[in-house]
Amino acid sequence: MISTSPAAGASAPLLSLSAVTKRFGSFTALSEVSLDLRPGEVHCILGENGAGKSTLCNVMFGVHKPDGGAMSYRGAAYQPSGPADALAQGIAMVHQHFSLVGDMSVVDNVLLGRGRGVLNRKECARQLAKLATDYGLPLDPNAKIDDLSVGERQRVEIVKCLIRDPQLFVLDEPTAVLLPDEIAALLQVCRRVAASGRAVVLVTHKLAEIKEVADRVTVLRGGRTVATSDAPARDIDALVRAMIHGDVAELDGTAASTLGLGKVEHVGHQPPPRGKVEALQIDGLTVKDRQGVTRLDNFTLTVDRGEIVGVAGVEGNGQSELAAVLAGMMTPTSGRYYLGEADLTGRSPKEITAAGVGIVSEDRHAVGCVLGMSLAENIYLNRLDEFTRFGFLNRTALQRDATTLMRRFDVRARGPGASFSSLSGGNQQKAVLAREITLPNLSCLVASQPTRGLDVGAVAAVYGHIREACGRGIAVLLVSSELDELLSVADRIVVLYRGRIMGTCPADPARKAEIGAMMAGQAQ
Amino acid sequence: MTTLDQQNSLDRGPRFTLRPSLFVPIAAVAFAAAVGLALIAAIGVSVPDAIEAFVDGTIGSPYALAASLNRACVFALVGFGFVLANRANLTNVGGEGQIAVGGIAATAVALYGHVADLPLGLAFILPMLAAVIAGALWGALAAVLKVKSGTNEVISTLLLSFIGVWLLYWCVQSPALLRKPMTSSATLPESLEIPDATQLPLLTGDYGFPVHIGLPLTLLIALVVGVLLAKTIFGVRLRAVGLNPVAAHRAGISYAKTVIVALAGAGALGGLAGALMLLGEQHTLKDGFSSGYGFDGLVAGLLSRGSIPGVIAASLLFGFMRSGGINMEMVAAVPTALVVVIQGLIVITLAGAALFIEKWERRT
Repeated sequence: MISTSPAAGASAPLLSLSAVTKRFGSFTALSEVSLDLRPGEVHCILGENGAGKSTLCNVMFGVHKPDGGAMSYRGAAYQPSGPADALAQGIAMVHQHFSLVGDMSVVDNVLLGRGRGVLNRKECARQLAKLATDYGLPLDPNAKIDDLSVGERQRVEIVKCLIRDPQLFVLDEPTAVLLPDEIAALLQVCRRVAASGRAVVLVTHKLAEIKEVADRVTVLRGGRTVATSDAPARDIDALVRAMIHGDVAELDGTAASTLGLGKVEHVGHQPPPRGKVEALQIDGLTVKDRQGVTRLDNFTLTVDRGEIVGVAGVEGNGQSELAAVLAGMMTPTSGRYYLGEADLTGRSPKEITAAGVGIVSEDRHAVGCVLGMSLAENIYLNRLDEFTRFGFLNRTALQRDATTLMRRFDVRARGPGASFSSLSGGNQQKAVLAREITLPNLSCLVASQPTRGLDVGAVAAVYGHIREACGRGIAVLLVSSELDELLSVADRIVVLYRGRIMGTCPADPARKAEIGAMMAGQAQ
Repeated sequence: MTTLDQQNSLDRGPRFTLRPSLFVPIAAVAFAAAVGLALIAAIGVSVPDAIEAFVDGTIGSPYALAASLNRACVFALVGFGFVLANRANLTNVGGEGQIAVGGIAATAVALYGHVADLPLGLAFILPMLAAVIAGALWGALAAVLKVKSGTNEVISTLLLSFIGVWLLYWCVQSPALLRKPMTSSATLPESLEIPDATQLPLLTGDYGFPVHIGLPLTLLIALVVGVLLAKTIFGVRLRAVGLNPVAAHRAGISYAKTVIVALAGAGALGGLAGALMLLGEQHTLKDGFSSGYGFDGLVAGLLSRGSIPGVIAASLLFGFMRSGGINMEMVAAVPTALVVVIQGLIVITLAGAALFIEKWERRT
């Protein structure tokens, strides 16, 4: 879409940053970043994870104080004392993570921190109705947050900001959690907000969004501005090169699909001959939570040896429960789960590991690793016994073997003794994958959101290892909310919606629309 | 990258370098002492007299020195226990009760039948073992409560402390338990003195310098606990459970087993501390014999920030402070309350110093 906004020209900048630097300890998160934000434009900040996008937003919003450089807002020096000050001056931000009170209504959430004395809910509801028509943000003011979908919750966050009538509106990776339709709607909102004469900053790592909505783009890599463009749709290839510091043509197909770059191509391996022994057999797994709500409903699936089955769906539709049951971290209400002949239902994680099921947990930091321990200890966390004699840990052998795995899986760190928390997300994930994929008797791998928060190179590496395991005859169950990645790497896709399987189909990119509809709950 | 780097980040052990980590604590103690002396002057006690009394009480005589060292051993054992459990992110505040049950068990066994006649040192080893087992059970009780029903161990170990302390009161009040036979109305509520053979042997055999075998035993335990935490798979498991119990569970490490062993170990060391106090110095079980040692040991563990040498340093400090404080009270008439205030000051300045060092090291 070609920009139609009047701003792209030369109007005076609303907020301008000049040579802003931000350090955390010895780490420089932003290095002399300069940026002009003009009224009426949608300005996209593009970059991989860890490029400094969120830090940049947080500096604008007064969360972090810059260590160097200067900012000016409407022509005057801008040094916000904190987010409250930034808000008061007309800069609002929607964070990656929502801050809503689930048990309260939309109106009450909007009024939180704004109301003085007696709450005027009626007036607030009237303002909400006006915003709804102005920007296309329909919301029931009396609905409880807990009853809303993720997309609707995000609308509440946006409305919370817009009701303050900000001049500059910052959205930090707002599309990560949304359905395709919701993303389109959100981009429309951005356009309308910009058309009303405000500046919109949209942080993303998805190129499709940039093509659709951006007036201008700034690309960050390693905390530096590496490219800018006034005509993003035209310069898209150059922007990608700047972002990943490589050539688009060299990109692995799956990795390219994570960026929304070009057409999704199925780069999966040769489909396995059918009729081989099934490895993983899931029979009617049902999980009810404490409130008695069914989170996973009669989930039945078999995964053959050498097959990759993708579980698609918007997050929160039962994937977490499925993965937790398979990992032995949750006991199902009913149903069974077998690996070959062995019944693994309700077994402990230790037994499941011993049976040959590798688990890559969706929440790496909570379940997959111990951040405060060393890389070597994390790589062998479930097999420390192999390095023990008379109770004493043989650290030399541990470090030696860990070093071998680090090389094989390209885990980059200062050394096997490096603290796990010092590794980047991608290297942490490669280490977790190394641990699970090298289990001596591995016959099945369950990977949940294995590429979340990873940059393109790491995504390619992760899928490379998963494909390689699959080639050895490992059954792979791949749970991901990134549909394009599943389409690219899986053999079959099952779609989860509200805990049920909405449908199953081959991972054919041509059927993306159909799968998207199933993800939104429309049976095909 | 050097192998030294790796070792440091792997072991999480103490680093011995000439950094502010050495002189800042000393400056902190000096500052607290200066404030303390100012307070003493303010209430009209002669400062030189107070200092003299303090020095006399700590290193003024072989006897005073020995008493200080024996006290330090008690603090150190409780401190090691705290560090052990704390590695699994458990906070054992039950040292006082563990000392009490250890003392009770040691007395009961020492006074039982012919234990005093056993050869090969069994006369005092058996009472010590009894104290260790009693303390371990006291600690394990809190662990089981935590594993079974999620009871916070801070609450359970603290409440079990009160139970232990009142159990001690009951034992010395009831002639059916450990109270010595009441021959007259003037008989004190305390146990009989334990037989000579069950008392801990002195290192030098010189009653003028009564350091008992608790000192080498404590040093040996320091080594064992240090090796356990740094070199064994158990130490790694403790750390994994402490840092991330969910990930540890996923990796096949038993949370229940680790928590129970950690708290039982802490309790065992508390019980042993009780045995040292009773078999080594007091020889008679009296109400309130633990007199806050459990809590001072806890503070030693806290101040050490997880390092075994740190526990030893803090325990020595507390051992000398307590001995000197008692003497200041008796000789220079410095009120008890003021002595406690000065000790508190030292703890606060040391904790502040630790914070300062941490910030300083992060900056460099």
